Amino acid sequence: MKNRLKVLRAERDWSQQDLADRLGVSRQSVNAIEKGRYDPSLPLAFTIAETFDLAIEDIFQKDEA
Amino acid sequence: MLASGGILLVLKSAGAINATTTYILACIPVGLMVAFFIEVRRRQDGPARASSASVRYLKGIFATSMAYMLGLGIAIWTWNNVEVTTGVTWLLAMLPIIPILAMVFVMGRYIVEEDDEYLRQRFMQASLIGLGFVLSIGSFYGFLETFDLVPHVPGWWAVPIWAVGMGVGQGWLNWRDRTLDDGDEA
Repeated sequence: MKNRLKVLRAERDWSQQDLADRLGVSRQSVNAIEKGRYDPSLPLAFTIAETFDLAIEDIFQKDEA
Repeated sequence: MLASGGILLVLKSAGAINATTTYILACIPVGLMVAFFIEVRRRQDGPARASSASVRYLKGIFATSMAYMLGLGIAIWTWNNVEVTTGVTWLLAMLPIIPILAMVFVMGRYIVEEDDEYLRQRFMQASLIGLGFVLSIGSFYGFLETFDLVPHVPGWWAVPIWAVGMGVGQGWLNWRDRTLDDGDEA
């Protein structure tokens, strides 16, 4: 799954740690999600969407085959 | 840790060292293992965040490891130096067993309590790698033992082998994360 976390963070001038603190997770988690190495659960995806005040599909997109 | 465990096993099997010496030497890799776990967790969480579940896990593993070494030492010394009844022997055997059960409980509790789903998934992956070590080495060695190719090894080696496998798994996952980590960029 692709995501726009890095771009959205940059737009707000947030570091990975800033976002991690807002989400209540570790910085490693944010890094793993950003890199596409870990797909977040639905509850965490909703929390991320709420943090950026966007819809989930505006942040996460399915990989094209 | 693996090497020292292997050397101890060979020395003990060959009769080069007695049970007490084996115990004293075994404390070294166990101590190293505890230090290794602490370092792995410290690097994993970093100074900015160490979840309460992680802290409880580390304290629990440290306490149970110390209880294990103490219980095993008391049991071996008593077994070697004191004439004991069968009932007391059962109690002696329980001294190292109870801390091991407590260690398994601490690990299970961490999985339940860790609210960071990525760290929880990493712990589960490392645990499965440890399980893979136990199943592979246990089956391999077990069949060699069945056909009298190698000496008997007590079943309690399952836990140290699992812990070493888990440590290897954590190390590999940490390396993978560090390799792909672009730091705390803004």
